[in-house]
Amino acid sequence: MRVGRSLPYVFLGPALLVLVILAAVPTLYAVNLSLQNRTLSAPQAEYVWLANYLKLFSDDRFLNALWVSLKWEVLTVSATMAVGIGLAIAMFEAATRRWRMILSVLFIIPVLLPRVCAAFVWKFSFHPLYGAVTWPVRALTGQTPDVLAHPWGAMLTVAFVDVWQWGLFFAVIILKLMEALPPQPIEAARIDKAKGWEIHRFVTLPMLKLPLISLLLVKAIESLRSFDLVYVMTRGGPGVSTETLDMYAYSQGFIEAGNISYASSMAVIMMVLTVILFTSIWKRLNK
Amino acid sequence: MKLSTLLLRIVLACAALMVLLPLLWTLLNAFKTNADLLVNTPKLIFTPVWDNMQYVLGRRSVARALTNSLVICSSAVAMGALLGVPAAYVIARVKNRLTREAQFFALSLRFLPPVAVAIPMMVIWLGLGFYDTRFALIVTYMTITISITVWLSIPAFERVPIAVEEAARVDRLGPYATFFRVALPIARPQILAAIAFSFILVWNEFLLAMMLSTSKARTLPVVASEMSQLGMNVPWGVLNAAVVLLSLPPLILLAVAGAGMNSVFSRKSTQD
Amino acid sequence: MKHLFSTASLLAVLMATTAQAESICSSDLRVLAQPRDGLTLLEDYVDEFEELSGAGFEIDYLNENDRRAKSQADASTVGSYNVYYVDEANLPLFASSGWIVPLDGYYPAEYDYEDFDAGMRSVASYDGKQWFAPIQGGGDLMVYRTDLLTAAGLEPPKTWEEYVAAIRKLHDPDNGVYGVALRGQRGSGANVWRWLPLFAANGGKWTDETGAFAFNSDAAVKATEEYLELFKYSAPGTQTGSFDESTGAFRSGKVAMIVESAPLGAMSKDPSQSRVVDVVGFAPPPTPLPGSGYAHGFAIAAKANPEEQDKACAGLFVAWATSKEQEARRLAKGQPGELTRKSTYESPEYVKTFGENLSVAMAETGARTEVLFWQDPRWQELGNTWGIMLEELITGSRTDVKATLNELETFAKSL
Repeated sequence: MRVGRSLPYVFLGPALLVLVILAAVPTLYAVNLSLQNRTLSAPQAEYVWLANYLKLFSDDRFLNALWVSLKWEVLTVSATMAVGIGLAIAMFEAATRRWRMILSVLFIIPVLLPRVCAAFVWKFSFHPLYGAVTWPVRALTGQTPDVLAHPWGAMLTVAFVDVWQWGLFFAVIILKLMEALPPQPIEAARIDKAKGWEIHRFVTLPMLKLPLISLLLVKAIESLRSFDLVYVMTRGGPGVSTETLDMYAYSQGFIEAGNISYASSMAVIMMVLTVILFTSIWKRLNK
Repeated sequence: MKLSTLLLRIVLACAALMVLLPLLWTLLNAFKTNADLLVNTPKLIFTPVWDNMQYVLGRRSVARALTNSLVICSSAVAMGALLGVPAAYVIARVKNRLTREAQFFALSLRFLPPVAVAIPMMVIWLGLGFYDTRFALIVTYMTITISITVWLSIPAFERVPIAVEEAARVDRLGPYATFFRVALPIARPQILAAIAFSFILVWNEFLLAMMLSTSKARTLPVVASEMSQLGMNVPWGVLNAAVVLLSLPPLILLAVAGAGMNSVFSRKSTQD
Repeated sequence: MKHLFSTASLLAVLMATTAQAESICSSDLRVLAQPRDGLTLLEDYVDEFEELSGAGFEIDYLNENDRRAKSQADASTVGSYNVYYVDEANLPLFASSGWIVPLDGYYPAEYDYEDFDAGMRSVASYDGKQWFAPIQGGGDLMVYRTDLLTAAGLEPPKTWEEYVAAIRKLHDPDNGVYGVALRGQRGSGANVWRWLPLFAANGGKWTDETGAFAFNSDAAVKATEEYLELFKYSAPGTQTGSFDESTGAFRSGKVAMIVESAPLGAMSKDPSQSRVVDVVGFAPPPTPLPGSGYAHGFAIAAKANPEEQDKACAGLFVAWATSKEQEARRLAKGQPGELTRKSTYESPEYVKTFGENLSVAMAETGARTEVLFWQDPRWQELGNTWGIMLEELITGSRTDVKATLNELETFAKSL
């Protein structure tokens, strides 16, 4: 359709210009950094070109971090979407207007907490000796379950906190999307005596396909930034079983050795991988 | 009441408890000493102490960080909405190669992890003389707010029926008027959700805030880091007090915004 | 003692009068630190410093990990802080990178640097120079439950063998008492820190006579096996925990005996932090364990203090913030965590606040404190890598000690 001659330029131009400038400068800087051997302690550096990248692929911790990140992505993104869609449908079907409001406010609270704080509060709750979550187990069986000491236990616990923050928030957003849908198709389906889940499976969710894909990709990106949560709850442990890519890059760049060039090369690889992965997902889902 | 409705309500009640119980527990813990927290059976009855709250409120950094957070986040979100929403409209309406690429480009800006951006940003802002200013953080956060607002507003505009806009054109509305008076009002609920989303992302941004500020421009997540340690220990009581106190401002903000939105909605529905 | 304090304050007054003549500082100092009660107290006396120096100061706080990350990033690029908070783990990096300058020449002699605990002073030295004034630190202290020991008819253990035997005997998880609490969390300052005394006690060295690494030595294998063996009796939550988890378990009355960093001593006497105030005893760690000396303190930044006068100003702050007077104030407030001076440990006020037993134990343990970690800029990288492996051994995802140490050796050679 036609939208006028000047409007596309006036509307799109400034935003793109700002984004390109703001994004291009640090990105180029980071790529440049990744081709050198700079560390925080020795600012004089020389170009080593691809040496950092070659080193990465023989670095077991990096390869492990890639694998952990993949698990983390799949786990948190799918759980967040499932919780979000499930609760949104539940609110849409079974809650009155007033209750939807109350629940919406409630479900937004977790995501407003600073992540460091949320991580500490939950870590304390899961403590085997004095946590509130583990208390029923202690009281009933006398056992002291230490979930953070097992590789999968730690992963699932941290993922739980992530989904607690994001899944509930997504439920609110998806509910708002459903409320904004035109009511006619849903009512038509109800008149046809379609069951509740059928309406959503065949009517509502297909109508929301595009916004849901957008949300999914956004969550996938936010899941890539997990280091504050992971660092507080497990420090990447036990061992390296919850050490995600951005946490490894952070500890290489800022905590352990100050190898900022090495950390940058990791970040660049992470960027390239996500671009490839997301483009293919986006192309496939957006057909 | 149908069985399925009952089941769904139970699910909702459980989810609500998942939020309420930890929050109430946190509130309770905020008034305990460390000795009362480190017990085998969580204590419901104890002698409350005001020390934790006092510690958090007594910090000079808290009030300053609250102002900073409010100014920085609302400016970045406002700029993001101002630039992002119109851009999203164009991308949704004009389908060509450039706009398709622009749509994905907006998202891909979030691909580079903050770890890689932190040092470049420090050097750049230092060079420009804006290190440790609100301005630097606002501009830095604009990449986040613009890209998320664009990305999440596109589907909102795509759902506005083209026929409605065509009708507006027949009514001799220009392209700008069509956007402001037809497309924007229809897509508004979703766009508000997108803007709220971008607010939450910058409100909780930590790494860049820590690296780009010292004391003048530090925001609340950085202060949260300050609250998570005292001496060699995690001061659990202080931490819980911080959770309670630091989550209040955005909650109030949200309640005000929510009430505003609600009145908009109800006005609309009475018009219907 | 009183006499000493009054001399110090007299000096401060003298200093103040000279300072007014030619004020040492021209603008407010910026300090990066970790939150501590002692520093919060220090902020109350900002006027005193202003009178002394001609300028005030402002402290920015971050938790330990963030403080490390931020101070490294800041020192290498921006340089916005005049005074950095430095710890044992990153002192070699800060010193060898030229981010901080030695105290010598900027730390006023009248503040008596030699009075700091000897262990902390040796931690604060690198390359033959002193780099920071300790605000906190110490060696190790054995803290035990007098009630449990008496009930079991045991004397406080003196040797490692007695210690292990007592732990085995006192370990009674069915009644909620665990023999010991160790640190399992990965990190050069976490699990590796607790392992260091065992490594040293078994004769372990970082490098052999030729300067090559020697990690797969018998000493390292034996130390690791003993550490893992002891973990069978360690309280739940410590397998992935550090100082906070292990001392938390002790202070909540779950643990019979513990060897931990010295501040635990006074902490366990503080009723707001401890439920075992009346039933704790203190002693130096069982022989042949040395104490693992650590210290945190203030150092003078290089970049933000380009002129001699700036450095002198920062040096004055470092000295003033860690002075005898400040210690006396912290002691009067009952803040045990930030006491670093020998004169304080020996003062009657200290004995009155924390008891004779702790005072004696602190003096004895001070003599046993050594620098056990590797004083080298590469220590953090090495220590953290070993920490990861050790955590895997503790939580059971690895089992072969010797093979693990071989792997560490290979890694160390790549540094």
